[in-house]
Amino acid sequence: MGEKITFKSYKEMPINAMSIADMTWNLTGSWRNIRPYYDFKMSPCRLGCPAMEDIQRYIFLVTEKRYEEAWGAIIENNPMPAVTGRVCFHPCMDKCTRKDFDQAINIPAIERSLGDMGLENRDWMKKVDASKKEKVAVVGSGPAGLSCAFYLARMGYQVAMFESEKALGGILRWGIPEYRLPNDVVDRVISQILGSGPITVRAETTVGRDIGLDELEKEYDAIFLGLGLMKSRSLGIEGEKGKGIEPGLEFLKKVNSGETVSPGKRAVVVGGGNTAMDVARCARRTGSDVTVVYRRTMNEMPAIKDEIEEAEKEGVHFHFLAAPKEVVRSGGKLAKVVFQEMELGEPDESGRRRPVPVEGRTFELEVDTLFTAIGEQADLTGIEKKVECEWNMIKTTGEAGETSSARIFAGGDVVTGAASVVDAVAAGRKAAGKLDRIFTSADEPAVEEPKTVGIEEINTAYFHQTKRTLVPRIPVEEALKGYLEINSGFLPEQLEAEADRCFSCGVCNFCDNCWMYCPDVAIVRLEDSYEVNYDFCKGCLVCVVECPRGCISTREEGK
Amino acid sequence: MRPAKIPTEELMTSGHLACQGCGATQAMRFALKAMGPKTALVIPACCWSVIDGPFPHTSLKVPICHTLFEAAASTASGLKAGLEMRGDTETVVMAWAGDGGTFDIGIQALSGAAERNEDIMYCCYDNEAYMNTGIQRSSATPVGAWTTTTPVAHYKKRPKKKIIDIMAAHSIPYIATASVAYPQDLIEKFRRAREIKGTRFMHVLAPCPTGWKLAPELSVAMARLAVTSRVFPLIEVTDNGSTWKVWKDFEQTPVADYMKPQGRFRHLTDKEIDSIEEEVDRNWQIMLSRERLSADLPGLER
Ligand SMILES: Cc1cc2nc3c(=O)[nH]c(=O)nc-3n(C[C@H](O)[C@H](O)[C@H](O)COP(=O)(O)OP(=O)(O)OC[C@H]3O[C@@H](n4cnc5c(N)ncnc54)[C@H](O)[C@@H]3O)c2cc1C
Ligand SMILES: Cc1ncc(C[n+]2csc(CCOP(=O)(O)OP(=O)(O)O)c2C)c(N)n1
Ligand code: SF4
Ligand code: SF4
Ligand code: SF4
Ligand SMILES: [Mg+2]
Repeated sequence: MGEKITFKSYKEMPINAMSIADMTWNLTGSWRNIRPYYDFKMSPCRLGCPAMEDIQRYIFLVTEKRYEEAWGAIIENNPMPAVTGRVCFHPCMDKCTRKDFDQAINIPAIERSLGDMGLENRDWMKKVDASKKEKVAVVGSGPAGLSCAFYLARMGYQVAMFESEKALGGILRWGIPEYRLPNDVVDRVISQILGSGPITVRAETTVGRDIGLDELEKEYDAIFLGLGLMKSRSLGIEGEKGKGIEPGLEFLKKVNSGETVSPGKRAVVVGGGNTAMDVARCARRTGSDVTVVYRRTMNEMPAIKDEIEEAEKEGVHFHFLAAPKEVVRSGGKLAKVVFQEMELGEPDESGRRRPVPVEGRTFELEVDTLFTAIGEQADLTGIEKKVECEWNMIKTTGEAGETSSARIFAGGDVVTGAASVVDAVAAGRKAAGKLDRIFTSADEPAVEEPKTVGIEEINTAYFHQTKRTLVPRIPVEEALKGYLEINSGFLPEQLEAEADRCFSCGVCNFCDNCWMYCPDVAIVRLEDSYEVNYDFCKGCLVCVVECPRGCISTREEGK
Repeated sequence: MRPAKIPTEELMTSGHLACQGCGATQAMRFALKAMGPKTALVIPACCWSVIDGPFPHTSLKVPICHTLFEAAASTASGLKAGLEMRGDTETVVMAWAGDGGTFDIGIQALSGAAERNEDIMYCCYDNEAYMNTGIQRSSATPVGAWTTTTPVAHYKKRPKKKIIDIMAAHSIPYIATASVAYPQDLIEKFRRAREIKGTRFMHVLAPCPTGWKLAPELSVAMARLAVTSRVFPLIEVTDNGSTWKVWKDFEQTPVADYMKPQGRFRHLTDKEIDSIEEEVDRNWQIMLSRERLSADLPGLER
């Protein structure tokens, strides 16, 4: 820092009136009445993701072409980006700030690209060895179980997975068809997870039947139940059991196992959820004329919106406000189904308006196969003795899936009812985290309401309106020929373009603006950060306004 | 270290005496990043003669010759001649003057130097009034503005003097405008100018929160809105004043968005702002027609 020079006599002055010292003795920080400070926020997309993926961070790393680190950033919260990148209902996008500017970032498409890279680059997943003495039994190998096993294994715990079926994956394998999630991807995701740490598998073992929870409790320090909902709910009408009527999930299981299916000329699917959509679309692929009959309207359909649109594109018909009433068979074969017309009444406990029959109004449809897809149920045989259940689901008492029985945790659909892959992933990870804290007697982390930013904090002068980059898809005619994956993923330049659209809400991406515009040269540019030099910052707050993404907050001096 | 958007070398230091959010200091900082240490400045009476610091201190790492209010261009010409006589052909001499020192009192010296095509750069940092002495109007003050000599009841009725037209009429090799909101563009233009021989005239809009009655944090935003509203177009005039190039690749914003945050325009009615917008549009069209016209001319050898 330069010294201030005060001449005691003219003799000390230079011969010419020239400067001989700088101004850095003049600490202009004393002029400041408000101070800027770096204060990164949590991007809203992250708050929208049930798994709390650090979306801003991995997109930023993509813009820097640091793909391995980007993949690593996802894996911290979700071990299966190749799956969620394909099938997630992406609530993150609903929260994306960019939707208030032009269109939300195509987050799942970016996630999928990274997920696929992680499957290609096998060395990205570093194997962890057992380092802890505790052993955990994970029951069910759907996304909840896989996620719980993965995070426990990453922390060095020994995991034994139990699965009723011969192959792992739950709904990922048996429910979601290949045109959305190829079996090959499921296989590779699972083998990557299993290979990542000390995880052993006991397939074709149903806990509660083949082996009791009591036995597991003796052998393991804790149990996680990710049982999902694998039983189709029945319609509860006359003649339901018999030829021509098939539970949707059973049908999907056949399709996903490569069995030939032939629902006939006219198929009707009853229901409005994901199962209904997938059944309808699989049936379309056999050449059937398919109608989905749903007792409410399009607005109340629980299926993912994208799936409804896809089904429509593929020529699936929809018939709303109707429910099957009676089955008519002739010569042992299904001939007709009588439907009751419905109307929407008062809202029920789910907040959706309850469908009520319209007196005396019915219609008939000629049907070769009627698929039931009105929901799935858990099979809690042998489970409910040990943990408290309610409405045929496991009752949890805490955020991490604690149940009535200490050291037995549960998560995924068996707790929430039909939800989603990412919710199940989040549940598995939370339980793993909690178990670790129990095993290590660690304190619960302090929960703080995270600060976030919205469009008001974005300096939109730094962005241009663009359209979301859409993933290439095969045409409908091609799609209907078989089970080829419809969405073929971003090309490298599309990945780059879409990542570049991200505002990086509330988190610095080293754009240099604050440093560059400071009129007082009071921002120090470091390797991977910036610092305000309060000796000189006058508090003009230009940096705050010119930060395109709301990374800098302010505080009044002396308060 | 990741690559920076603009050069990291700092030839202007902290501790200077400018107000909070001063655009003139940003202009200086950016300009010197482009010019480099082999630069000698000539600064007439203006804010910058104060910002720099009291004798014997300076906040710049290049030499400054402080001179009379009206004498920036002539002092610069003399300094350049002196350096040449001593065999220094490397140092670029740049006059750095306010709008009062350029548009008003310094214009005869500037015109003389330009007509002789003195080998100097001349940069006018334009804060649109005599700020150093307390916000008196200059001929660079825009129509509609309040200053202490154009109080609200008699706000400025005459439009801003078209200094670029005047300088283009001198047939000098390089003229450019720049805005502190676009530092990369500013730096590129100063670099380009640095390499040219003869008189190069730079005109940089430098928002003054104090004189514009503007929240200091909005100074860069105003410098940007001045450009996007086309109030202050970013242009380059080359080929001895004959080839005009206008930057158009921005999303246009209303003139009102530029004027409303500034207290110096607060008294204007929407109708008055509309008529200013019409004037802005006219000037813009004239600029574009010049560009079109010059596009058909063959370029000059430099
Ligand atoms: C057809 C269909 C399509 C869907 N599409 C989507 C979609 O596109 N996007 C989305 O996000 N969500 C979708 N969902 C929902 C999503 O699949 C589920 O929310 C998710 O799979 C739940 O995960 P889970 O781990 O809780 O259970 P599951 O995936 O159901 O897995 C449970 C596993 O536990 C095993 N198991 C059960 N009981 C026992 C036992 N006693 N012993 C041993 N093993 C046992 C089961 O065999 C199964 O493998 C869809 C659901 C269906 C049915
Ligand atoms: C001949 C003369 N007249 C008046 C002054 C007083 N004076 C000093 S700076 C200044 C205003 C300068 O205005 P401008 O050139 O726009 O620069 P700014 O202060 O706005 O940066 C005036 C009038 C002077 N120094 N010399
Ligand atoms: S713009 Fe980027 S950081 Fe912001 S919410 Fe959208 S995806 Fe997240
Ligand atoms: S731009 Fe510089 S002087 Fe102004 S508040 Fe920010 S750090 Fe302080
Ligand atoms: S202005 Fe740019 S560099 Fe500064 S904090 Fe914001 S994002 Fe980071
Ligand atoms: Mg001025």
